[in-house]
Amino acid sequence: MMRAVALCVMSLVAIAVVAPVMAADGAVVAQAAKKAKPRPAAVPQQPMSTSAPERVEADVSTRTIAITSGYSGAEILVFGAIENSRQPSAESGFYDVAVVIEGAPEPLMVRKKGRVAGLWVNTATFNFNAVPSYYAVASTRPLEEFADAALLDDNGLGLEAVRMSAAADSAVRVSSEDLIAFKDAVRRLKQSADLFKRADYGVIFTGRSLFRATIALPATVPVGPLTARVFLFHEGKLLSKYQARVVLEREGIERWLYAFAFERPFLYGIAAVLLALATGLIASAAFRRRGT
Amino acid sequence: MPSGSFTFGDRPAPPAGPLFAHEPSRPMNIYLPIAEMSESVLVLLGMGAAVGFLSGLFGVGGGFLITPLLVFTGVPAPVAVGTSTAQLVASSVSGALAQYNRNNVDIKLGSVLLAGGVVGTLIGVEIVRILRQAGQFELFLALCYVLFLGVIGTLMLIESVQTVWKARSGVAASSRGRGEHSWVHGLPLKMRFHRSKLYISAIPPLLIGAFVGFLAAIMGVGGGFVMVPALIYLLRVPTNVVVGTSLFQTVFVAAAATILHAGTISSVDLVLAAILMVGGVIGAQLGASAGSQLKGEQLRLLLAGIVLLVCVRLGWDLVVTPAELYSLAQPAGAP
Repeated sequence: MMRAVALCVMSLVAIAVVAPVMAADGAVVAQAAKKAKPRPAAVPQQPMSTSAPERVEADVSTRTIAITSGYSGAEILVFGAIENSRQPSAESGFYDVAVVIEGAPEPLMVRKKGRVAGLWVNTATFNFNAVPSYYAVASTRPLEEFADAALLDDNGLGLEAVRMSAAADSAVRVSSEDLIAFKDAVRRLKQSADLFKRADYGVIFTGRSLFRATIALPATVPVGPLTARVFLFHEGKLLSKYQARVVLEREGIERWLYAFAFERPFLYGIAAVLLALATGLIASAAFRRRGT
Repeated sequence: MPSGSFTFGDRPAPPAGPLFAHEPSRPMNIYLPIAEMSESVLVLLGMGAAVGFLSGLFGVGGGFLITPLLVFTGVPAPVAVGTSTAQLVASSVSGALAQYNRNNVDIKLGSVLLAGGVVGTLIGVEIVRILRQAGQFELFLALCYVLFLGVIGTLMLIESVQTVWKARSGVAASSRGRGEHSWVHGLPLKMRFHRSKLYISAIPPLLIGAFVGFLAAIMGVGGGFVMVPALIYLLRVPTNVVVGTSLFQTVFVAAAATILHAGTISSVDLVLAAILMVGGVIGAQLGASAGSQLKGEQLRLLLAGIVLLVCVRLGWDLVVTPAELYSLAQPAGAP
């Protein structure tokens, strides 16, 4: 199916290359003027009133990531294309693309230690109703260089803009400085656990309209659905966005064990004991036979 | 343009560009479904083998070492405790069976201890659940470990140093004189324990059993280090019956703790437990043969050293200012 994309892109490239040639010939000047004329990156400020608007489309390399016993993290390749790209080459930097992969929002508790009688003890807690379990953002260059803070914030782009909603009972208890400290702690701890991350040059263009980004998921990413969002920027303006889904799910024996542990917990406990008894008895029998 | 619904099928994904630094795939890693983390099989097997070696060498359960080791590796504390109770069943059952075949188990006394043990386990698992909700379980676990390991390590150190010193100076270590009667013998509900040649109240064994069951549930330990001295010094159980009876009780209390941990907070990771068991049984055999090369006092001195090291390591984290004051957790109610 990659071929289909390639063909599309090639036809786009063909139009783009042919159009200026025709214009230069002066044969169909009037028509060419109405048509979408690709412009070099040097003069992007001229309005493209007649050109079709750019649209971004994207997909992910794997829709379903299976967590089996050998699972030690996965890699998601996000790739996409810009329809009606006006970019002269992959290196021109005409467009900026940001890719976000986000896990399902889940409740989170943050604890803060304090010193009590010489010991470090958890003394304060703060509850969030919803914090994404995982958040990775990759972009063609640092986000702040191509979009202002308000735009980034509106679209939940960047680690500072990750949606974190505080639980009402926790929010009323703490001051705004403390709230900021708790939010910063979430970002810091999630970053050190590799669950929040940014890659400023993580998206690369591989053609006039094709781009891709590879995002590594550590093994600790909680199982569940993930959303991949792709944003297309030009000169600080958001031109288009696109969304795709990835599902992270346990498969095979891992799935079976997990379901067993949580759906029939007492039976699981009995199975654990039987396994342990069998292991102990088999081992001692095996070693006794060898010993004598 | 295709509408974003195309897939690669079985075509291998193109090689990754110089984008995100991605971890190299580690084929020896195994995913632990309940702990929700990926860890090297070799590290886990090695841990199981090391603890098994020590338990074979010293004749102790090793639960008191496996729980802190798992926590150091990054396994959540409740999962570390729950899983080590399962490993405890495996490591104690073969010993218990061997002792039973040698008629070294007082089934009646063991059953009384066990009845207390089940009650203690129930209380312990409930306390784990409450403390986990309050966010203080890690602290409580660390404090329990520091306290127990500190006391036991110090006592063992003093005793073994004295024994070694006496052996050096040529004085025979005096065997502890047996008191005829103690306060234990004045309690009601007397029962006759034929195998142990005892006629005592059922209350002290019930209480000892309950305390050991409580420890098994909250710390993931067999409690042999409490049970054995209590049976010898408090109940005056003959030494040859003590180890067998203690192991007999450990198997059942650990089994009860495993089922309760799995049943109430789903904290037993079978994959992790299986790896630890395999490492443990191999290590235990090696340890037992290594143990026959060393003298008893030297072994006890060595064990005291290890126990105190673990104690200091755990205590250090409680006292020293942590680099990170904040920590993340799943709120109460979430799995």
